[in-house]
Amino acid sequence: MAELVGVFAACHGPLIAREWDTMPRDHRAKLTAAFDEIGKRLRAARPDLLVVISPDHWVNFFINNLPAICIGVGEEHDGPPEPFMKKVYPRDRLKGHAAFGGHLLRTALDNDFEPALSHRLRLDHGSCIPLWRIGVDAELPIVPLLVNDLEEPMLNIKRCLAWGKLLRRAIESYPEPLRVAILGTGGLSHSIGEPTMGWIDEEFDRACIKHFESGDEAKLDAFLTQELPRTGNGAHEIRDWVIAHAAAGSNGFELIDYFPSPETFVGAGFASWTPSAVR
Amino acid sequence: MTDYWLSKMFFDLQHDPKLAADYRADRVAVIDRYEIKPEVRKALLEDDVGALAPLVNAYLLRFYFQIRGMAEAEFIAKLHKLDAAATPAKETVTNG
Repeated sequence: MAELVGVFAACHGPLIAREWDTMPRDHRAKLTAAFDEIGKRLRAARPDLLVVISPDHWVNFFINNLPAICIGVGEEHDGPPEPFMKKVYPRDRLKGHAAFGGHLLRTALDNDFEPALSHRLRLDHGSCIPLWRIGVDAELPIVPLLVNDLEEPMLNIKRCLAWGKLLRRAIESYPEPLRVAILGTGGLSHSIGEPTMGWIDEEFDRACIKHFESGDEAKLDAFLTQELPRTGNGAHEIRDWVIAHAAAGSNGFELIDYFPSPETFVGAGFASWTPSAVR
Repeated sequence: MTDYWLSKMFFDLQHDPKLAADYRADRVAVIDRYEIKPEVRKALLEDDVGALAPLVNAYLLRFYFQIRGMAEAEFIAKLHKLDAAATPAKETVTNG
């Protein structure tokens, strides 16, 4: 049987790549330290496979065909298309894991979930900035789980919790001895292309962190359902953290670091979970 | 209300460097390839961030004005003017 060996989350943002060489040195050092810590923990977990939960920034999907959630079941995926990513993460292809991707898809359908599927996804900066900064081995296979975090309406928080539990069920029912890690990317608060652009809602971010630490799913759901419409649009990516959180058993959250990063327009959050039994 | 053809044009500009180059060279010619409503066309030609913002996803709007060549600081300043009109005091804005 496969096992869940580590769960992590980290922010992303185009400016982390675009401004990496020119941002203030001390700020780059803070980002580096947090990403490096996740990298260290991920390597210590010795995963055979990484499930990456991320939004799609209008790269694979458009409003003529926009899945709420899509599983990448292919043997291979394409690297990031953004010009600003080419210089820092010049990878055309990323290795997939068709067997586990297919198993996750079948497990979802057997349990009354209806994801979209793709045999070849293009993974944009949302997935690839954390992979780049964490230093994920190019040979580590990836199963992408792309979540619509950008365009209303989106998965509700209860469903994100359910998706996390489903992901855990799929890992634990996979018949091969595979060590699986999870990386949720995005968040915490940010505001992009809307009248509050640049706003980092530190109060929201710190409340989120407290809810993840408490592990109370009902309170996390109530908080996010109420507050997400009131904060910046980028905070919708917290769904990727919620899925990771539930997969970890909604317990064992550890904040690696949090700081507002006006240099990159994000509430920069970094976390790991020690997996426990799913409730 | 989402404007499909405006969104489609922004999406295509993001994905097709040649189309983006064509757009920089002759906006009107590219706009004419899409079913863009007259009032939307006017907003495009005037770089009217406030008129375009309610019609497209905010991320596509940001991509568009990057392709358009508007400095991010100017784009943000135009957005903040909209925020100031809607909510006079937002003390928690930490950037821009």
